[in-house]
Amino acid sequence: MSSGSEPAAIVGVGQTHHKSRRQDVSFGGLVREAVFRALDDAQMTLADIDAVVIGKAPDIFEGVMKPELYLSDALGAVGKPMFRVHTAGSVGGTTAIVAASHVQARKHERVLAVAFEKQSEGNAQFALGSGKGASLGAGGAFAPFIRAYIQRSGAPEHIGWKVAVKDRQNALKNPYAHLRIADISIEKVKESPMLWDPLRYLESCPSSDGACAVVLTNEEGGKAAAADGRTPAWILGTSSRSEPPSFPGRDPVRPAACVQAAWDVYGQVGITNPREQIDVAELYVPFSWHEAIWLEGHDIAAVGDGWKMIDADETALTGSFPVNPSGGVLSSNPIGASGLLRFAEAANQVRGAAGEHQVEGANVALAMAYGANSQYFSTWVVANSLQPFG
Amino acid sequence: MVHANGPAANGPSMSTDIAVVGWAQSPMIRRTDLSETQLLLRVITDALEPLGLTRTDIDFTCLGSCDYITGQAFSFVSNLDAIGAWPPKRDSHVEMDGAWALYEAWLRLQEGDIEIAVVTGSGRSSTGDPALIYPMEMDPFYLAPLGVDPLTFAALQARALIAAGITDERAMAEVAQRSRRDAVANPNAQVKGDFDVETLLGTDYVREPLRRHDLPPITDGAAAMVLATGDRARQLRDRPAYITGFDHRTECHNPVYRDLTDSPSTRIAAAAAHIGTGPLEVAELQAAFTHEEILLRRALELGDDVAVNRSGGALASNPIMATGLARIGYAANHIFDGGNRALAHSTSGPCLQQNLICILEGTP
Amino acid sequence: MTRFVESSITFPYKRSLGPVIGAFMTALTDQRILGIRSGDRVLVPPLEWDPQTGAELPADAMVEVGPNGTVESWTWVPVPSEQHPLDCPFAFAMIRLDGASTPLLHAVDAGSPAALAVGTRVAPRWRGVRQGRIDDIIAFVAGEVSEVEGVDAGPKSEPVLMMDYNASITYRNPVPLVLDRVREASREERILGQRCPVCARVYAGGRGYCPIDAVELGVEHDVDLPHTGTITNFTIIQPVQYPGQTETEPFARVFVLLDGTDVILPYQPVIELPVGDVCVGKRVAAAWAPPGDDVDEGGTMGGAYGHLIGWMPSGEPNIDDPDLVNRIF
Repeated sequence: MSSGSEPAAIVGVGQTHHKSRRQDVSFGGLVREAVFRALDDAQMTLADIDAVVIGKAPDIFEGVMKPELYLSDALGAVGKPMFRVHTAGSVGGTTAIVAASHVQARKHERVLAVAFEKQSEGNAQFALGSGKGASLGAGGAFAPFIRAYIQRSGAPEHIGWKVAVKDRQNALKNPYAHLRIADISIEKVKESPMLWDPLRYLESCPSSDGACAVVLTNEEGGKAAAADGRTPAWILGTSSRSEPPSFPGRDPVRPAACVQAAWDVYGQVGITNPREQIDVAELYVPFSWHEAIWLEGHDIAAVGDGWKMIDADETALTGSFPVNPSGGVLSSNPIGASGLLRFAEAANQVRGAAGEHQVEGANVALAMAYGANSQYFSTWVVANSLQPFG
Repeated sequence: MVHANGPAANGPSMSTDIAVVGWAQSPMIRRTDLSETQLLLRVITDALEPLGLTRTDIDFTCLGSCDYITGQAFSFVSNLDAIGAWPPKRDSHVEMDGAWALYEAWLRLQEGDIEIAVVTGSGRSSTGDPALIYPMEMDPFYLAPLGVDPLTFAALQARALIAAGITDERAMAEVAQRSRRDAVANPNAQVKGDFDVETLLGTDYVREPLRRHDLPPITDGAAAMVLATGDRARQLRDRPAYITGFDHRTECHNPVYRDLTDSPSTRIAAAAAHIGTGPLEVAELQAAFTHEEILLRRALELGDDVAVNRSGGALASNPIMATGLARIGYAANHIFDGGNRALAHSTSGPCLQQNLICILEGTP
Repeated sequence: MTRFVESSITFPYKRSLGPVIGAFMTALTDQRILGIRSGDRVLVPPLEWDPQTGAELPADAMVEVGPNGTVESWTWVPVPSEQHPLDCPFAFAMIRLDGASTPLLHAVDAGSPAALAVGTRVAPRWRGVRQGRIDDIIAFVAGEVSEVEGVDAGPKSEPVLMMDYNASITYRNPVPLVLDRVREASREERILGQRCPVCARVYAGGRGYCPIDAVELGVEHDVDLPHTGTITNFTIIQPVQYPGQTETEPFARVFVLLDGTDVILPYQPVIELPVGDVCVGKRVAAAWAPPGDDVDEGGTMGGAYGHLIGWMPSGEPNIDDPDLVNRIF
């Protein structure tokens, strides 16, 4: 957040129960399920909202072009601004950032950010390949990045299995999570099929139907919620960075756009030592190894050392630096919403509203999402006070 | 977080002046042989060069485009190649007309930490059949399965306006005639010339009461616009086009639930963009169908003294996803050329579902 | 002269309907049309929410309307599209069904525009076999008498929960000139690249511009690239089935660093190299389609490399270099 901007706060968070097929609801109904939870949480109704920002991944996933048009009335946006963001997998994060921008620019006081995907309506593999054969899928695109990380860091192969187990165990504490694998274990992960060498089935995210919604307000709204005993999550820094798909020497294991977005946010917040100053992180980890990759990409761990934090259980729910206490993308992946879920779960942690997966003493939280071929990055830091470092 | 108690934090509104300082558009043609990325490469360069700027000067980019027009998921990703995003850039993308990309950049610039943004809109409508693509933006349960397209709804809206006595087929033909005549002076207009109203009215209906002349052409094209703040804007251009009002609003989706003789979202957006604070000289309206201009003029209460769509408007060239941004560009031209106040409009969805109003002025 | 290629993409979707649309679709199979009450209005077609306020409308607020109604407005469709419900000229009309407060948009099979007017009374023509879709009503027809086309199969015995939606769109795209040069060169078993005059980076695959300097690259920037290289990275993909999938067995995609250059060809297929033998450091040589073969434009390589169909082992010993694996781009 830059000088002169209106401080923005999260005062309501809602999400759907994520499942591989939410056949019980239309896609309008799915989005509304998240929206009404967020509004209830914020003690507001649709009528209180000034503007709606919506994000989702490609329209081809559901076969509805520019679905913000169809969803305008479902979201109570009639007579209001309705804004549609699409930045590939990072879109949920960018949706939150653009919604925050509406408040920070003092254009609106109460903004609803919504993101969703109803992947069961279409077929993501099909859509990723634009309907052609031999689609690599996201796993096929990312597996080489992971091979490079493993080789350059010298990490043992069980690191990926550990993240897969940890996030699924965390998901058991999250009533909204899609994958609930009660007997998840290292053995189970390592014996699961190799889908995209070196990535195994249980090291990969599911394909989910789901939505997430967040209510943002200005400083006055945030302070009013605080006075009412409902701790807001103050948005202290946001950033988006993109880089081109490919050129000789581009490093997708430590993408420059990721590192720059992180330090842009740290600069806004006054973070100089992220490992010490951040209490919990929700990182976009669709494949287990990305936890190590993003710990390093955000300079929470030194380059080459991200996996050591995982090996030492420091990123577990009770560890010194919990990562993805919600269960993360590995447990629920409604693609367009996955980024907003990270941002919303980070907000809930500092609001003390994360329920069973609450990290004790979480005052400052980091969230990030990324998209395309590790090219689009969106990042924010939220805290339960405007000046967490005094 | 050190800024919360700063002096500006409690102010009623931001003081940052934001202006359009330049823009460019590709040739507007029926079918381009360039990829969308190539179109953008050229048009971004064309927008920057006259200002003495290069891509390294850009602090923020926001691109507007549509996968379904391109026929490929994530089609916007390769367009990153056009903005020179190395080292990485602050960047965003909207699945909306470039006019909304401009809106996002306008919000972002108000945070005050950056100075220059580039926004684009791009689309190659020639690649697919609009009659088969656009039903996919309609209600997926009740409308898309019937193949209902925007042309059908436009015809129904025109009929509603005629039935209400707001317009007639002759007045619509006169809009077509004036637009294509004004377009003669515009090298980027695709359909232009002197047409005779009687002759136009003698042609067959495409969708009664719409005839060919009531419809926009199919156009491939892209536009890029450069925004700058405060002193930087004044350095870059003698007479920047300051954005003094900017807003957009939506309506419910399915036109069967709406009063098609009105455009309430246009009225709300115009009021929120402070349309009434001074006289307008020109208006560029994204009226792809002749009757839409008539409806929008009414909703905006534009008098006869306001020159509407001197560029020829969307009836002269209609590069979908850039049509709205181009309207803002033409309105900016009016300010660049010494004008005082201009309005630009963009729209999306069936029967003008969603409407955006941008007011540009010669002084902030 | 620019070439254009056509590709048809058929999108198959399965939509879940939810409580309100589901009840509406289920009733259609029973030749009944439902609206939903919102305040003192009856909305047709019914939504789960009030279209003005977004207020929730419960399924138990649904009421039967029509099935006959009055044309409030219409437009004639002289040339139907393949997506339209009728293949003869027809009208799309706003039809106010008896008891409804809002019109339903549907087709009217009127024969000619002269047969239609505001106020014309219409009744539905039903399909004999009804799926629970809006086009279970083929069209409305003039008069007060509903029709059923063919043998009436009766209502569905189970509630309708899902709806299929298939849209096929054909796109006609220009082939960039540089891509044609790459393909043409490949017929002569040459791999064409382009060198950026600003940064000197070389790009393969017929991109036509440098993304770093954002400059276009023309024929004067074309360079010939070597035909041998080293695999720097790879993945083995276990194919999952989806509409349009062409693979059934695990297949490899490799990254090839061309000898003596900085150029990576990403996600390349391999030929005569079993997936178990794919490794970092493997030496490979270009594999070409037989002369005269018409290489599929939309094939595995997306047409980007023309007659270059993949990479096969060169027989040379593997290269042991720990930095190779980092060359993905």
